Amino acid sequence: MTDLDLARAWLVDPASGREGPGDIVVRDGIIEAVTWLEGIDAEGIDAAGVVVAPGFIDLHAHLREPGNEDAETIASGLAAAAHGGFTTVCAMPNTSPAIDEPGVVAGIRAAAIVSGSPLELLVHGAVTVGREGGTLAPLGELADAGVAGFSDDGAPIRSGSILRNALAYAGALGLPVIDHAEDPDLTDGAEANDGLVATVLGLRGWPVAAEEAAVGRDLAILADVVRDVPSARLHLTHVSTGASLDLIRRAKSAGLPVTCDVTPHHLALTDDWIAGSRRWAWEASVDPWDVAAREAAPYASSLRVNPPLRCPEDALACLAAVADGTANAIATDHAPHTEVDKAVEFGLAANGISGIETALGVVLAAVDAGHLTLLRAIEALTSGPAAVLADRSRRARSVGLLEGSPADLVVVDRADSWTVTRERLASKGKNSPLIGMSMPGRVLLTMAGGRIAYEAPSD
Amino acid sequence: MTDLIDGNAAADVVVPSVDAAPDSQTVGWRHRHLLDVDELSTADLDLVMRTTDAMREVLARPIAKVPALRGRNVTILFYEASTRTRVSFEVAARNLSADVTNIAAQTSSVSKGESLVDTIRTVEALGARMLVMRHAVSGAPYLAAEVFGGSVLNGGDGWHAHPTQALLDLYTMRSRLSGGSVAGRKIVILGDVLHSRVARSNIWALTAAGADLWLCGPTTLLRGFEAWAGRGAAGGRRFHVTADVDRALRDADVVMALRIQRERMSSGLLPSLREYAARYGLTAARLALAQPGALVMHPGPMNEGVEIAPEVAAGAQSVITDQVTNGVAVRMAMLYLLAGVSAAGAAP
Amino acid sequence: MSGRRIMTADEIRRATVRLSHEIVEKQAGTDGLLLIGIQRRGVPLARRIAASIAENEGVEVPVGALDITFYRDDLSLVAQQPVVKGTELPSGIDGKTIVLVDDVLYTGRTIRAAMDALVDFGRPQAIRLAVLVDRGHRELPIRADHVGKNVPTSREELVKVHLEETDGEDGVEIERLVETPLAAEPVA
Repeated sequence: MTDLDLARAWLVDPASGREGPGDIVVRDGIIEAVTWLEGIDAEGIDAAGVVVAPGFIDLHAHLREPGNEDAETIASGLAAAAHGGFTTVCAMPNTSPAIDEPGVVAGIRAAAIVSGSPLELLVHGAVTVGREGGTLAPLGELADAGVAGFSDDGAPIRSGSILRNALAYAGALGLPVIDHAEDPDLTDGAEANDGLVATVLGLRGWPVAAEEAAVGRDLAILADVVRDVPSARLHLTHVSTGASLDLIRRAKSAGLPVTCDVTPHHLALTDDWIAGSRRWAWEASVDPWDVAAREAAPYASSLRVNPPLRCPEDALACLAAVADGTANAIATDHAPHTEVDKAVEFGLAANGISGIETALGVVLAAVDAGHLTLLRAIEALTSGPAAVLADRSRRARSVGLLEGSPADLVVVDRADSWTVTRERLASKGKNSPLIGMSMPGRVLLTMAGGRIAYEAPSD
Repeated sequence: MTDLIDGNAAADVVVPSVDAAPDSQTVGWRHRHLLDVDELSTADLDLVMRTTDAMREVLARPIAKVPALRGRNVTILFYEASTRTRVSFEVAARNLSADVTNIAAQTSSVSKGESLVDTIRTVEALGARMLVMRHAVSGAPYLAAEVFGGSVLNGGDGWHAHPTQALLDLYTMRSRLSGGSVAGRKIVILGDVLHSRVARSNIWALTAAGADLWLCGPTTLLRGFEAWAGRGAAGGRRFHVTADVDRALRDADVVMALRIQRERMSSGLLPSLREYAARYGLTAARLALAQPGALVMHPGPMNEGVEIAPEVAAGAQSVITDQVTNGVAVRMAMLYLLAGVSAAGAAP
Repeated sequence: MSGRRIMTADEIRRATVRLSHEIVEKQAGTDGLLLIGIQRRGVPLARRIAASIAENEGVEVPVGALDITFYRDDLSLVAQQPVVKGTELPSGIDGKTIVLVDDVLYTGRTIRAAMDALVDFGRPQAIRLAVLVDRGHRELPIRADHVGKNVPTSREELVKVHLEETDGEDGVEIERLVETPLAAEPVA
């Protein structure tokens, strides 16, 4: 257990909604004192320097173990998470075997312990056996084994009746059903967002309607279920379009128990990147056919992801959803892949971006550009996801800089930046479209459960 | 070409006049690859047209061969079955005295066969310096260009691009239209635009050359192009999109018919080929809506009786066989220009 | 002109006339003669020689143009000078006596390439060479049958021929090479 003295930093505390100059003292792994500075003591400290926030919580990451350890292991995934400032990670069940029975959950827990990582690793159980969409997995046994929610992600829950039953059953268990909303008939063979870029580059289009229709269906079913099971909860993950977010916004104001998250890549990157642009969604976009304006070669397979990168309007809608709270959380959908699966033709590449280490940088870019406040960004990375996890995380009731709690902290130097390189990525997955780019902010220290999980090298 | 001699000219060579005199050429050829027409400047296009003129003249000789690429290897790597284009490239390479290696590969996927990257590394180790590639997946040549040390010439990738086709189409139009230019001419591309790399590359080349371009076909096969036309291509170039075939063809100077494939029916995009032929097929009656003497073009292979009537394909206005000959000349020109860059080690 | 002038317009004219006489003398007439100018400046020179022959012998000797771009042995020149100027030969060179005409004879590589090209067109009876300037430094066993002027040069020098038809004025000059010229004439 560690001691830490952080003086004259910018503290961000989602628990109280407060941010400002302050000191933090950690003794033996426990936050001993949080002192907010005022008046003369506060002079010269601002949010552009060293920032201290609670360690981030990722609702959605693919750690690949068991079954695909070439792409990532629990150990490498947690190391990557710590590098990214995360202290709690939820692993999705599309492993091999899928997390559809307690034995697999136990195996993953054991791997986490063996890794020696101080991070909190939570696990989502599959909704259906083998994630095949046929019959319900043993949801009760999985709940007893400690899963944080149920999902068939990377696949949607195809059958409406399965979704209905899962929502009802899981509701009684007090756990959310997490759906990857996609109508697979509309996305058969699809490669990129159905828009101008796909048309110009000759890529098979992935219509917005494929997500919107599935979201609409899910919300309608949820509305039905809550009449019988008021405790039912639906969480829609990696929502990527304005149309879907509008539906969710309306459902929330109607009182439906739905939550959702967006990924960093969906709120900042756009399908223009496939044409060779490297501009953030909020920057002026460039004609995908303007070859002279290309900043990178087109068809980079690191950009192939499900849901696909959307047009700038949709990306800005995701950003706005974080700002106005429609999006409860930012979740990374960290999806590491091996070279073999990614160093191929765009249309043959596996879907996914290795993003847990660059999530903070992308979000800070949005904050720097004025599209998000720092407090709201930190909330979306901490208290927002904690609320979705309810009592499954040891931190859920206390996501903040709270005296007496074990230290789950991230210390970020916003005055610094770092260039993303393959060597610097702790994840085994080097499939990041941000390689070669400079990310704002640099994680200096990540503490989880009172122990140091990551410390920046002093070079 | 300017008047060079007073004596008997070489037999029957239609050598088109190109706009600028040779001496005004100041720029060389700097592109290491030819992945799409959109990378070429107007000066580059002029150079390609001019070099193609010279290659046409070579093709008219008793021995249609020059030693320009002697001792160099041109590797043809086709992941999609195609006899015409492959043979066209082979003939072009051999006419330049290059050594040709032909590889017919299967479209790679992780579970079967060698990956594209590994195949390219292998052919490079076997001595390939120029790679002519055709692939079923859009964007594949860009991956190849990253991995291959020599020059990549895109022979067609998925739905995306077919640069040599667009170049030979442009050359054919310029050589057959009076005035030698497509600027201001109404040119119609008729058919399955959505799946057509020929259409996409032609859109760039023809709008860059100032043509009045129209895309026409059933709405399901124009998906996305209406929005694109509304926005205009880079540099504010515009084109028209319509499902009204009569409107498209009226007073056209050039009509290019695209091949309709059977699988469009099974994927639900078209009710039947018969219906397509009836509503969009280029018949003599429809051709009559265009300008008298309008050019009839088709990238081949043709489904006669579906997208084009046999009598139109073989008729007096058809320049389809010209396209084939010009195709060899254009490909010779491109291989020649790209080989120069490899040899000089010029930066891409 | 920026270099040292070594031939004036008048000197070029006289040399051209002398070359035309020599060519006819060697052939003992004009039968079977075919003048082929090597692009670029060999072509107007060939035309001038033909005009001179016409004046003196009353016979129109056919003139052709030969572009040796595709026969050069150095492909790396393509990137800098890809422009092809065109070949037009009267049909049938079989049995003819061809006189290749070029402005400057230097290493001999251009002439070698020209002969390679001609072989693809047919089988001439004989091939001769007439040049306006021979500057020495042959790298191949090639010699000119008819020379306008012999000019000793060093490898650091460049011989530039200007003709009215291509450059607006007549003259030949020598320039000192400062660096590898990007847009210079190909090595002749």
